[in-house]
Amino acid sequence: MPGGKEILVFSGAVIGSDRAALDKARLDLAEAVGPAAVPAAAAIAANFTKNDRIANGCGIPSEPMMLKATKDIRADLGLNDFRSAVNTFRHFPDER
Amino acid sequence: MTLYADSEYPVREDLDVIHTKQIDQLAEPGTWGTGAQRLAIANEVRQACYDAGTQEKPKEAGPVSNIELPEAARNMVRKLAVSPKDFLEDSYQEAKKGDLSDEEYVEIVGIVSRVTNMDVFARGIGVDLRALPAARTGEPSRERPGVAKPEQAWVPTIPNLPEGGDIAAELYGEGHKTYIVRGVSLVPDELRMHMELEEIQYLPLQHIMVADYQHHEGFSRAQSEIVAGRVSALNECFF
Repeated sequence: MPGGKEILVFSGAVIGSDRAALDKARLDLAEAVGPAAVPAAAAIAANFTKNDRIANGCGIPSEPMMLKATKDIRADLGLNDFRSAVNTFRHFPDER
Repeated sequence: MTLYADSEYPVREDLDVIHTKQIDQLAEPGTWGTGAQRLAIANEVRQACYDAGTQEKPKEAGPVSNIELPEAARNMVRKLAVSPKDFLEDSYQEAKKGDLSDEEYVEIVGIVSRVTNMDVFARGIGVDLRALPAARTGEPSRERPGVAKPEQAWVPTIPNLPEGGDIAAELYGEGHKTYIVRGVSLVPDELRMHMELEEIQYLPLQHIMVADYQHHEGFSRAQSEIVAGRVSALNECFF
């Protein structure tokens, strides 16, 4: 994927505590993908910081359809170990 | 003069308009909190992020609210703002024991989430956090949707259609909506503002199943999903 490494680094840096690393990641992203990538990636990162807080703050579960479709990738990536997974598995214990 | 006129990078106009409006609306009475209380929450979000090193204090932060938040509200705001992965059901129960109603709790979750959103965007494009406005007077509406009920979240939610009735039709439109849409529906204005940001910053929801739909110029859907997945993994958001 074009700029894949730079996108990953920026995504971590924008919610991290190392401002110098973020400033470098922003420049690297603009150089690798183009200047428009910076506000685009910032907007999406910001949006999901919102969604993560709504999800974890309201204790919402994932839907059964999504659970069935993601069983393998959840196991491969260790997503079932996230502490917020309990909000889902208390309703759907067989979908782990 | 636009909100992000000082950005070195091109910010889409619709995003600028929505952020301008939503920052200003923090000063107005909400559904359960006054303007001063809502701004106190926004200021507490920022202070927690300064303390954690995930935001830098701007030159012009705007007026600081003279409202002191109740301890239960202050604790939940700070934890949700800086460490969403550690925000578990005991955090919710502590807020309830501290006399926050579900309605107040949901409005606070919405404000924390939206302020964090707009502040992360500003930091992402390399500009100072935008100044917060001064509180305006007035009383909260205290309008609770009558159809909201306990479902599978910690807090009551408005059910999908047909059970959710007219307000579900207005808020959700047609089709089944997942809990990420419905989570804050106990405070419909928070849901409206959450979705307003969603459609501008991520993509319009009617296109969510179109795998190659591109919402941001110069940034593909696949690139967008890398950002979304990375941020949510770091925040340990299972949803």
